[in-house]
Amino acid sequence: MARYSRVLATFAALSLVVAACGGDDSSSDTTVAGGGELELVKDGVLTVCSDAPYEPFEYQDENGEWTGFDMDVVRAIATENGLELEVSVQPFDGIWLAPAAGKCDMVASSMTITEERENAADFTKSYFDAFQSLLVRSDDAETYNSLDALAGKTIAVQTGTTGEAFANENKPEGATIQSFDEASAMFLALESGQVDAVLQDYLINKERADKQGTSTVSVKFEDTPEQYGFAVETGNSALLDILNKGIDDLKASGEYQKIYDKYFIG
Amino acid sequence: MAISKRKRAMYTRYAVYALSIAALAAMVLFVDWDKLSNAMFRWNIVKEQFPDILTKAAKNTVIFTILGFAGGLSLGLIFALMRLSTIRPYRWLAATYIEIFRGIPLVVTLLILGFGIPIATGWQWPNAYMQGAVPLALVASAYMAETIRAGIEAVPKGQMEAARSLGMSYPRAMGTIVIPQALRIIVPPLTNEFVLLIKDTSLISVLGVTDATKDLARFGRDGVNSTANATPLMVAGLVYLAMTLPLTQLVAWMERRAKAAGK
Repeated sequence: MARYSRVLATFAALSLVVAACGGDDSSSDTTVAGGGELELVKDGVLTVCSDAPYEPFEYQDENGEWTGFDMDVVRAIATENGLELEVSVQPFDGIWLAPAAGKCDMVASSMTITEERENAADFTKSYFDAFQSLLVRSDDAETYNSLDALAGKTIAVQTGTTGEAFANENKPEGATIQSFDEASAMFLALESGQVDAVLQDYLINKERADKQGTSTVSVKFEDTPEQYGFAVETGNSALLDILNKGIDDLKASGEYQKIYDKYFIG
Repeated sequence: MAISKRKRAMYTRYAVYALSIAALAAMVLFVDWDKLSNAMFRWNIVKEQFPDILTKAAKNTVIFTILGFAGGLSLGLIFALMRLSTIRPYRWLAATYIEIFRGIPLVVTLLILGFGIPIATGWQWPNAYMQGAVPLALVASAYMAETIRAGIEAVPKGQMEAARSLGMSYPRAMGTIVIPQALRIIVPPLTNEFVLLIKDTSLISVLGVTDATKDLARFGRDGVNSTANATPLMVAGLVYLAMTLPLTQLVAWMERRAKAAGK
């Protein structure tokens, strides 16, 4: 999901200032065979920050097991390197600074790679192409079949996302942008008639439409793809290499396609 | 052992002073003030916050607070009287209401009422102010009902008895004799409730905000987003203080005065 804002970013930076004063870093060293020196927040565990639940990318199944597209990809890479997977749930706002703040080793949170975010963290190569989309009540699917059809209407976006930026850049005449802290509130606002459309990443909207049955994705903005990447602390090349190699290996072995099919096909 | 009680108290006091000074010194020495002020208090960003932070954000916070307080006070009075009623079902009803709205967090109440009522009934909130202020008022009324009830109970029973023996009806005695005296007692706790409400309005933004309906806290958070700096949040905090400090000082003054009056 493509969120670009910086509230937490600033706080993470602040907590760094404080941490710098406090000294004593609790991270420990682990050496991974052939991977150079890898520093992890917790020994033998790959700790992942994520703004979950965000189906179908990051969520917990009925047994509490972390699952979803992002989680399966990261778990496969972790397992390959003999590491356990642990998830630390964080609000999305500024989540890319969480590794620098020592909260986790990396971020896997359906996060679009943007220039702005790259200034504050190192990103892997893209592991997923995403598109913005409009989710509307099924009764309106015919009417609201383009962004321009929402002139004078109310569009819901999530604070700090690329969806919000997209909406502000492309909003039609007289449309009101209403911003929400979290995805669940947007869906409720759509259902309650408070807003007329939800603008955010296609697959998230589609999951909602499929699950709930009373809303429909009316537009997918295919001209403006966005690339999802994992993020690590700036300069953490050991982990970045492992992740990039992991993505390549998964694609080469066909495992990536399997995970993709599991969540997005049939 | 050999130390007298007074001496021990004195040493303890010195130790506390020494610790406080050490903590203060540590802060001054170890915190990188340049870095901190750069991250949290940049003058040019402070200036950018005005006038919108006052004309839009603070205005919205005040509107939410006043609506919530007015609604909460009227409902609270009704529920307080119901709790004190001799008619049992009234008491039960009021007690149930108070327990429910005191027991559920405001955020949950906001989401349930703000979205749930339109989903269930198809009826739409007329505007964002009502959508946010009504749940706020309902929760506030539960707290205020208890405050008002305590105030009414603190008025000596003789007042009611004397009024009734003069031939006043119960409602008249309550309305003209007891409640006015109770009000004097509950003004300080109600002012505290008002301060709590000012701060609680910061939760209303879970229902979604537009540029026009942003409250002070959300304005600060969005400012952090657009400036990549914590300064807007600091300014928002100061504006909150500018609203709440006079009120809390007023309460302190009223309490001192009541004490002096031998209340």
